[in-house]
Amino acid sequence: MSRENDGFEFHPTGLQRLLDASYRVINFFVRWDRLPTLIGAFNIAAFRDRLRAHNLHHTGYGVDSAGEWKPGYERWRSADGSYNCLAHPRMGMARTRFGRNVPLTEAVPETDEALLEPSPRVISRELLARHEFIAASSLNLLAAAWIQFEIHNWFSHGPPQSGNEFKVPLPRGDDWPQKERFDGCMHIQRTARDKSTREPWLGAAPTFRNFNSHWWDAGQLYGHDHATQMKIRSRHDGKIRLVRDRDREMLPEDPDSKGVDFTGFNDNWWIGLAVLHNLFAFEHNAICDALKSAYPEWNDEELFQHARLINGALIAKIHTVEWTPGILAHPVLQFGMAAQWSGAPQRWLHLLLGEDNEVSRGIPGSATDQHSAPYAMTEEFTAVYRMHPLLPDTVRIHSLKVKGDKPKALKGSKPITLNFVDVQGPVTRGLMKDHGFANVLYSLGIQNPGALCIRNYPNFLRQFKKAARRGDPNIPLMDMAAVDIMRDRERGVPRYNRFRELLGKTRVTSFEEITSSPDIADKMREIYKDVDRVDLLVGLMAEDPPKGFGFSDTTFRAFILMASRRLKSDRFFTDDFRPEIYTELGMDWIQNNSMKSVLLRHFPELGQALEGVKNSFSPWNVVAEQ
Amino acid sequence: MRITIPGIVRLAWLSDPDEVVAANASGVVQRSLSGLGGLVQRSIAAKLAVFQKSDGDIWPAFRDRADRLRSDRQKELENALAKTQGLLKRVAPETSALAAYVRTGSTNRPPEIIVQQMVGRLFFSDYAASEESYDAACALQTWVSGGPIKSYLLKLSGELERSLDLIVTLSRGDTSCAHATAIAMHNLVDTIERMRRLARARDNLQKLSPQEAIASTLRAPNQVVRETRDAGHVCGMHLGARTLVVLRLECARRQKPDAGIEFFAKGWNQCPAHAIVPALLADVWKKAKAGAA
Repeated sequence: MSRENDGFEFHPTGLQRLLDASYRVINFFVRWDRLPTLIGAFNIAAFRDRLRAHNLHHTGYGVDSAGEWKPGYERWRSADGSYNCLAHPRMGMARTRFGRNVPLTEAVPETDEALLEPSPRVISRELLARHEFIAASSLNLLAAAWIQFEIHNWFSHGPPQSGNEFKVPLPRGDDWPQKERFDGCMHIQRTARDKSTREPWLGAAPTFRNFNSHWWDAGQLYGHDHATQMKIRSRHDGKIRLVRDRDREMLPEDPDSKGVDFTGFNDNWWIGLAVLHNLFAFEHNAICDALKSAYPEWNDEELFQHARLINGALIAKIHTVEWTPGILAHPVLQFGMAAQWSGAPQRWLHLLLGEDNEVSRGIPGSATDQHSAPYAMTEEFTAVYRMHPLLPDTVRIHSLKVKGDKPKALKGSKPITLNFVDVQGPVTRGLMKDHGFANVLYSLGIQNPGALCIRNYPNFLRQFKKAARRGDPNIPLMDMAAVDIMRDRERGVPRYNRFRELLGKTRVTSFEEITSSPDIADKMREIYKDVDRVDLLVGLMAEDPPKGFGFSDTTFRAFILMASRRLKSDRFFTDDFRPEIYTELGMDWIQNNSMKSVLLRHFPELGQALEGVKNSFSPWNVVAEQ
Repeated sequence: MRITIPGIVRLAWLSDPDEVVAANASGVVQRSLSGLGGLVQRSIAAKLAVFQKSDGDIWPAFRDRADRLRSDRQKELENALAKTQGLLKRVAPETSALAAYVRTGSTNRPPEIIVQQMVGRLFFSDYAASEESYDAACALQTWVSGGPIKSYLLKLSGELERSLDLIVTLSRGDTSCAHATAIAMHNLVDTIERMRRLARARDNLQKLSPQEAIASTLRAPNQVVRETRDAGHVCGMHLGARTLVVLRLECARRQKPDAGIEFFAKGWNQCPAHAIVPALLADVWKKAKAGAA
């Protein structure tokens, strides 16, 4: 195999070359976010083409074969993501390697002494720790839950490995518990090693494997191997197995993880994940009912696989046209994300670009294209998705029912405020039962998440004890902020300034160019000394975002490429996004539903809270006692 | 010396032996070139990129310090090339022919082809060099160090690709052999030529010991090119991000001949041929001396 990205190359059209050259000139004078909407949207398209040409790098698959072909793989998704690309069946399947958005020669971790400089613990304490909660007022907490629901399986590097931990010296006065110290150091476990055979062209770039499928296939609900998937299924009418508890059905408990629901991927469980996993399990079963009525002759397998396709596409659509414009509230993005899914509405654009162009018709239904490398999630995309500041340190649980039958936990009491640690892990299932899904959804719907900015990292995560699954070794106490820093460093993700450069932005030359806050710039200078040393996470959180944006422009550059790529590379969103595969009913279901309709289908009691709310990820109406 | 022309080049030349050694050892300076930082960087990186793609492997001189395959292969090759007596026996016909050339100034085959074959046979005992293989090595050398017009013509004519293919095929995919027979050998060819000139002047051949002859004829490569990925300090000198760092090895060696700069002695990238090259040259000189006696 050649290192030429397994034979994939990006071939820009004449128009794309012209746009690229034009926008290089335009952007010399004006930033994309200050351009009129349509011109700005084409600017983003030009960025995307540039990134597609230069920022996709194959790291090899890391698995020898795609496993056995099974009838049906031509029509629906395999459990592990194999055979999505029929010509390259290993592409994107579970246990294949993460790719890269930077050249492999740039993805080399620093040597051990530089790797720990500056101390990730100092960064955690001085730059990331939340001093006071900074809210993202245009979003609700469901938006934070949603992004975790979307990605928590997607970037699974597997459990970290014990032994040979990073030893982070603790400065004098550090409050890290004495019993968790080892020779005066805090230990951070390393990412599990990729033990597969390395190709000689990888050079010094480390590789890591994704334990789950890389595709946007709703694997968090359906699992990433056949055996798990069969346990999730009821094996009747294509449905997901639910159990009845009190007045409604819910996902069963995971026998290996107390208090956690059994689903495709249930790491880092909390009430936000619980409501969304259950919600889309209910949605799956609703789709099965509709399919059963339309196609009564179909067996369990046909019903399950079609419902999975439809449900997965609906989730992708909600993410594209609701969540993303919710967090990136800029006119260019409002236009761009809608166009990404449904195409640009302007007729003249269709005439100019052709009806088959992805801008005219949207990516769904356009031709599959891997551009310049086989599809894979990337380490850099993983890095920009480190969004822990979205989480608050406390969650307030409200009751929708002002009068009458309050759930047990809320009877006779005002809304309760719980520390975040008390709404996650083993207590989650009990909380869901006590408070009820609708109340939890409503509570998440009216609260703000944290803003993605510096000094807003939730403090509970900076001293966090994660529950281990049954039979797994105990997980040591973690400072997740320090862990996040070390993950990027050990995986060879470039630091902030080089990351900018490699994604097509100019390097900054001073700390003041990153942030307009003199206090933060001074603190960064004190810790890092050199602006090139600023960690990616710190730079992304410190950077002043464009107007309306919930995260930095540098983060956005990675999104421009990868958010569309997870659609454009996937056969089931492109070549096979058609009624013959999805059914007419399926295409209509995807077209006609939204987060709001899904919520209301399963929780009609949320109607008043959602009335007039245009985007389900923005704060809902307050309808209950406060 | 340093030059910075925004958008065109950011360049630092290092000639001081201590600076050269420190830059080579520093984590700030990398072997791989990104092509970022200016048009000159872009053009040089594009040239060298051909050695990172051929046959799905990376040529050893372009592998970075942290590359485990580099260190493994380097160690392996160093061990193989340390068996000097066996290797000298293997290439005895070539060293004899070169000795005759040093002594008389003429050989049956052009000396550069004999050098290429000698180098190739350190890897494969049946390596056969030819005019075509030597021309291929020259084409690659021109590609690396020639001017833009020559390089453009090489690429346009397809000669670059043909040369790469031929060298890699003759080296049976072994990138160390390819590097040695296409790039590193030119230094040996020049050294043999200098030996010939040395031998012809007065009674040097009789008077000088092999070590003295080597000391006055063996040179380091003129320069190697490195890059800083991020800003950093080398020997107290600040180098900005994406600076092209030119290590002027021969210039540094002249200032400090015993520092082992020609082989990056004791460095992470010590040339695996650091023992065999002097042994080969000594053998050539000894045989030339014996032939003259």
